[in-house]
Amino acid sequence: MAEPTTVTDSRPPPDAWVVAMATLPHMGPGRLRAAVRLGEPELTWTRDVVSGRAHRQPALQKKLGKNARAIAEQWAQVAARVDPATLWRAHADAGIGIATLGNPAMPAVLAGDLAPPGVLFWLGDPDVVVGPRVGIVGTRDCTRYGRDIAFELGRDLAAVGVSVVSGLALGIDGAAHAGALAAEGAPPIGVVGTGLDTVYPRQHRRLWQQVVERGVLFSEYPLRTGAEPWHFTSRNRLIAALADVLVVVESHAAGGSMHTVDDAERRQRPVMAVPGPVRSPASAGTNKLLSEGAIVARDVLDVLVELGLKDRPPRAAAEARPPPNAAGQHVLEALGWQPATFEQLVMRSGRSLAEVSASLEQLQRDGWVDGRGGWYERVAKAGARS
Amino acid sequence: MFATVHSATLLGVDGHAVTVEVHVSKGLPGFTVVGSPDTVCREARDRVRAALLSSGLEWPLRRITVNLAPSGLRKGGSGLDLAIAIAVLVASEKVPGLPINDLAFVGELGLDGSVRAVPGTLSMIDAVTQPAVVVGHAAAKEAELVGRHTVRSVATLGELVAALWGDEPWPERPPADAAGETAEPADLADVRGQPVARQAIEVAAAGGHHLLLYGPPGGGKTMLATRLVGLLPELDRAEALEATRIHSAAGAPLPPGGLVRRPPLRAPHHGASKVAVIGGGSSWMAPGEISLAHGGVLFLDEMAEFPVDVLEALRTPLEEGVVRVARANFRVSYPARFLLVGAMNPCPCGAARGPGHCRCTPTSLARYGRRLSGPLLDRFDLRVNISPPEPRDLLGGEPGESTAAVRERVERARHRAWQRQRCVNGQLTSRALNQLAPLHADCHELLEGHLASGRLSARGLRRIRCVALTIADLLGVEPPLRPDLLALAMQLRNEPAFLYERMAV
Repeated sequence: MAEPTTVTDSRPPPDAWVVAMATLPHMGPGRLRAAVRLGEPELTWTRDVVSGRAHRQPALQKKLGKNARAIAEQWAQVAARVDPATLWRAHADAGIGIATLGNPAMPAVLAGDLAPPGVLFWLGDPDVVVGPRVGIVGTRDCTRYGRDIAFELGRDLAAVGVSVVSGLALGIDGAAHAGALAAEGAPPIGVVGTGLDTVYPRQHRRLWQQVVERGVLFSEYPLRTGAEPWHFTSRNRLIAALADVLVVVESHAAGGSMHTVDDAERRQRPVMAVPGPVRSPASAGTNKLLSEGAIVARDVLDVLVELGLKDRPPRAAAEARPPPNAAGQHVLEALGWQPATFEQLVMRSGRSLAEVSASLEQLQRDGWVDGRGGWYERVAKAGARS
Repeated sequence: MFATVHSATLLGVDGHAVTVEVHVSKGLPGFTVVGSPDTVCREARDRVRAALLSSGLEWPLRRITVNLAPSGLRKGGSGLDLAIAIAVLVASEKVPGLPINDLAFVGELGLDGSVRAVPGTLSMIDAVTQPAVVVGHAAAKEAELVGRHTVRSVATLGELVAALWGDEPWPERPPADAAGETAEPADLADVRGQPVARQAIEVAAAGGHHLLLYGPPGGGKTMLATRLVGLLPELDRAEALEATRIHSAAGAPLPPGGLVRRPPLRAPHHGASKVAVIGGGSSWMAPGEISLAHGGVLFLDEMAEFPVDVLEALRTPLEEGVVRVARANFRVSYPARFLLVGAMNPCPCGAARGPGHCRCTPTSLARYGRRLSGPLLDRFDLRVNISPPEPRDLLGGEPGESTAAVRERVERARHRAWQRQRCVNGQLTSRALNQLAPLHADCHELLEGHLASGRLSARGLRRIRCVALTIADLLGVEPPLRPDLLALAMQLRNEPAFLYERMAV
């Protein structure tokens, strides 16, 4: 084929029709896979999709279920307005890498998965998916404890050359990647549930850019796809597929991380969980996993042993914080390892309001305590502030 | 035949003297009222006629014109009924004209001739210059609060006419209802534990600092807010008169003594309209909740549920202590210097027990956080996280300090502040603050980190110094402000959790 010179006379590659199919409503990974396996994508697009006869294809009909006919009609309506060539050009202009099922450009670990993506988009360098990889996942609504652990795990794993795979969500996911970036070690791998031009959550725009610059960001969704709840369960399966070991840092009993755990178990990936206080709802899910036989992840060493890597992580730096004074020690003991309010600290320590508040100020300045929104939490190690 | 009788009308919370002129002449029988009466005032025609006839007095079958002077002033309400009736009687020579000149009449007439009290009696009586006033029995106590007039009170129009002729002495006032016992106000001793919450309401009362209580349901936010009003000192005579004028103008019930001596507590429901909270109205201007709370506490429970425009409308009155309501035809200003106490949950789900328990989505949190604007939140010098008391304290704990003990401390602190600067600490200007409350040198280390990290703004620092000064006043220590007082002030001015992006790294 001649080198295209203009948009109008360019003939896009066959993958363009797969990308077009990925934009259709009700198009999940399973249906897209079935459509791609029908053969020549351009033929599938014109013969089955645009004509509204997708439900006549037995392989697709099985995936479409009861409403096959209605979906096929909807596809036809939407497809009439989609120009695969323009769509392809938009992705190329945005610098997005694309590989459809069967294309060797797709990372082997995904192409050979139980439920491989019909099409995969990426920003950054997909060839970083080579070394050992650990998935770090957990709740968005995490505690200071969980955030610190996720940050430290991400940092220490990246420092010894293990890539961190995560979903860039708020809370644990973001903290794990922030840690991995802080270490400037192994390249981070992110998997998102939106189009690669749609940053979600918006607070993570910077994190998102850094992952693209230093590693790779994968998505199954074409440009301009927004965040939908069902995208995240299929994203979780890609995290499980990409990771050699999955670590759950904090999860509520019925949290989304539990789906990732199911996906990892289906793929025989070891699942590790970070133990938490038994009274903490943010650790209810992880503690349940542990009682059901998940492997305990206390620190990076546990994870490295599970990965089969013998290298010891660099020793943690000596305590850099100035030791608390007697009053500060008293307040730290009253605080313990669970979040507490100022009032609870006053009651538990039995000291005056002014004394406790002065101690808390000192402890916060020295990095022993973190306070936000009226709650105080004890900080385990120096330098984990994020 | 012509007669002039003195009375007054109410505009906003201020009374205005009104002269009722009646002209009775030959012509087709008729009765007109001119001089900017509003609907209620115009209806006086029917009430006055019926009252006269019921009292056994003759209604002149002639042409009657009533003018309410000055005619440019809008006259509202039924307080002119009595004056119109007397003027008609004088003009038709049923009542002697001579004693009328030294009397003013304020009251509404019933169709049976009875004389009733009207809202705003206090302000109206205050506006009349005659040495004696005549009101209904129910309004007599209120009228006497002004103190400049001989107050005569009557039950009916018939009694009044007899007294004016001198046939009968002025009637005795019936003894007031014995139901003068007010309910015992809620005592602070009922609050078990919760040292921080107690400290916060004590500081709020002593320094006049607006207070935002936030925390999960069941933390006792409402209980604390209702105790706060008991900690405030009694109103002095000028303040009490002002508060009484507002209550009277709004038609709110007055305490048995007639004078609102205890600081009022107003707690409008969050369904309240803007006019109900701020004051106003199109035909009948009435003071709103913020003015009824003048000198006392305005408590907004479930503050985030109030319509945003109602909350935003509070900002100017909070700053100026007065609310100016303007309508097409009239402008009034109501005093509104109150202590604002807000209570709200930290997030829509209530986050009962701390971080990790909240199940709200980031979007719903952001939406909830937007309900209170930054400028409004800035007005709160005290923002305290109220957690439910520990079960131990609820069951066995010692009762806390009583309202009386804390109020004594509050009064001492207020006295210190008054001696120093002639206002409460909450109203200090920044220049006065620099002069009166210098910082101890040890404070710089404490503040630098907060200022550098942006957690504390220049304005925030000023407010914290005000609060620290109040705490010092309560403890009886002199400035410069020590770092532990400043740290405690910062504890009492927490950022509500929803202002943060939740837990995001």
